[in-house]
Amino acid sequence: METRDNLSSTGSDVIISVKNLKKYYNKGEIKALDDVSLDIRKGEVLVVIGPSGSGKSTLLRSLNLTEVPTDGSIFFDGVDITAKKIRNEKGRMVKLNLDLHRQRMGMVFQHFNLFPHKTIIENMTLAPVKVKHVPKAEAEKKAMDLLQRVGLKDRAKAYPIQLSGGQKQRVAIVRALCMNPEVMLFDEPTSALDPEMVGEVLAVMKNLAKEGMTMVVVTHEMGFAKEVADRVIFMAEGAIVEQGTPDEIFSNPKDERTQGFLKSVLNV
Amino acid sequence: MDGFIKLSNFPRILPYAELFKQGIIVTILLSLLTVVIGFLLGNVLAMMRLSDFRPLRFLSIGRDGKLRKGGLLLTISKFNPISFLATVYVEIIRSTPVIVQIFIIYYGVFGSLIDLPGIKLLGFIRFDRFFPGVVALGMNSAAYLCEIIRSGIQSIDGGQSEAARSLGLSSGQTLMYIVLPQAIRNILPAIANEFVVIIKESAITYTIGVQDIMSAVNASKGALFIIMEPLLVATVLYFCLCFPTSKIIAYFERRMSRGNKR
Ligand SMILES: Nc1ncnc2c1ncn2[C@@H]1O[C@H](COP(=O)(O)OP(=O)(O)O)[C@@H](O)[C@H]1O
Ligand SMILES: [Mg+2]
Repeated sequence: METRDNLSSTGSDVIISVKNLKKYYNKGEIKALDDVSLDIRKGEVLVVIGPSGSGKSTLLRSLNLTEVPTDGSIFFDGVDITAKKIRNEKGRMVKLNLDLHRQRMGMVFQHFNLFPHKTIIENMTLAPVKVKHVPKAEAEKKAMDLLQRVGLKDRAKAYPIQLSGGQKQRVAIVRALCMNPEVMLFDEPTSALDPEMVGEVLAVMKNLAKEGMTMVVVTHEMGFAKEVADRVIFMAEGAIVEQGTPDEIFSNPKDERTQGFLKSVLNV
Repeated sequence: MDGFIKLSNFPRILPYAELFKQGIIVTILLSLLTVVIGFLLGNVLAMMRLSDFRPLRFLSIGRDGKLRKGGLLLTISKFNPISFLATVYVEIIRSTPVIVQIFIIYYGVFGSLIDLPGIKLLGFIRFDRFFPGVVALGMNSAAYLCEIIRSGIQSIDGGQSEAARSLGLSSGQTLMYIVLPQAIRNILPAIANEFVVIIKESAITYTIGVQDIMSAVNASKGALFIIMEPLLVATVLYFCLCFPTSKIIAYFERRMSRGNKR
């Protein structure tokens, strides 16, 4: 196992620590992330807002290393997951197992990304069975319990194509939960939904927040941010422009860009 | 000159009906085996082309244990010899005539390097002719199927892999359980079409003595000194093999695309 000698300097309740993260495309022409630093505490609900193209998705994708950062570090539970190799307890450099880290972070996408050739229950049990080697019956039991909690128990044998958008996204959330993640990342989970289905997905997310899950949520649902977020981050042009409690950001935004953005989303 | 086609010539072909019957069996067997070999080898080639094998990868990591930002070492570190080999193979096959490939396999590989037993399959198929034909056509069709499979894999939405990886599946598991099953389902019509192409292309193997439909034409021509009538028989036979097959494929293709839009 990996040792924790790459420990970040921050306090012990910090689960993710992002330090000077940069992500460039086209040899630096596009700066999707430009020196982002951020600490996420255990149990915190962090909402990320900002105009399209400001780097919100890139930040989330970097957190579970779907995107390899150009520069900077991400410490997850004290381990630098951007290092290709880390020192093990014998002091030898060994390859970092990224799959192991991804298991600990669940991700929910704008377009659900359910596996269309598998039933709902198969979607949910695939990773626990194949990756964690959980016995199939046990994985199915857990999946059914989770489906029950989001009101979709009777759809277990259905295929994704037979579900509505809201149902698909609820399945996507519980599919991630089947791996018992320590952090859940949401990238605009309600942006692709018909308006009448937004509520049912947000309700599931609110419940999750109440249960103490650490969550990073990119969303344009300002109502959700006000109600659930512990902290709101406003991003523009690949950088964090302003952050604070929902009250600070929504009632008293300091930066011009934050003010402009909030005006545009709240007035539509 | 005689008439273009004489009706009276057709009964003369009758004694050779058995040859044509055997020809049909050989053509079908040859094409089926070719598709199977082509598909298996094509999958291997596609995996090779899409592989992430970079033996010099260590050059990309600097002393600080992080990825280099540029330079010659980073470029060299990206070299993938497995993918390179597969690409070379595919491009050579696709840029040379199939008859040259068949002759190289028959006269070169099995003519001098490997000895085949002189057995007969089903009592009439000469193994030492049939087998090189299957190998050559299979190797040829693998190059084309490789590209079909590769584009099938690449047509799967990137979000599928991303979701699988985010759940902790390795890249191999993602390919195995998520990408390949969807890709193969999508390219089944293309694979079936390749089957039809092979039925037609296999006619060329009569040049190395494979007893397919064309070789029956050749035999009756040599014995009867007529060519148009046996060719007409071959035309009808090939048409009866290929036309219904493509129609059936088209039918399933329509049904499947309807299923996808549901
Ligand atoms: N694969 C890529 N290649 C080139 N540019 C990209 C790529 N992915 C994202 N970008 C660019 O990075 C910037 C940030 O994108 P993104 O993180 O998706 O923004 P957001 O999610 O806030 O809308 C955008 O300018 C986008 O065009
Ligand atoms: Mg985005």
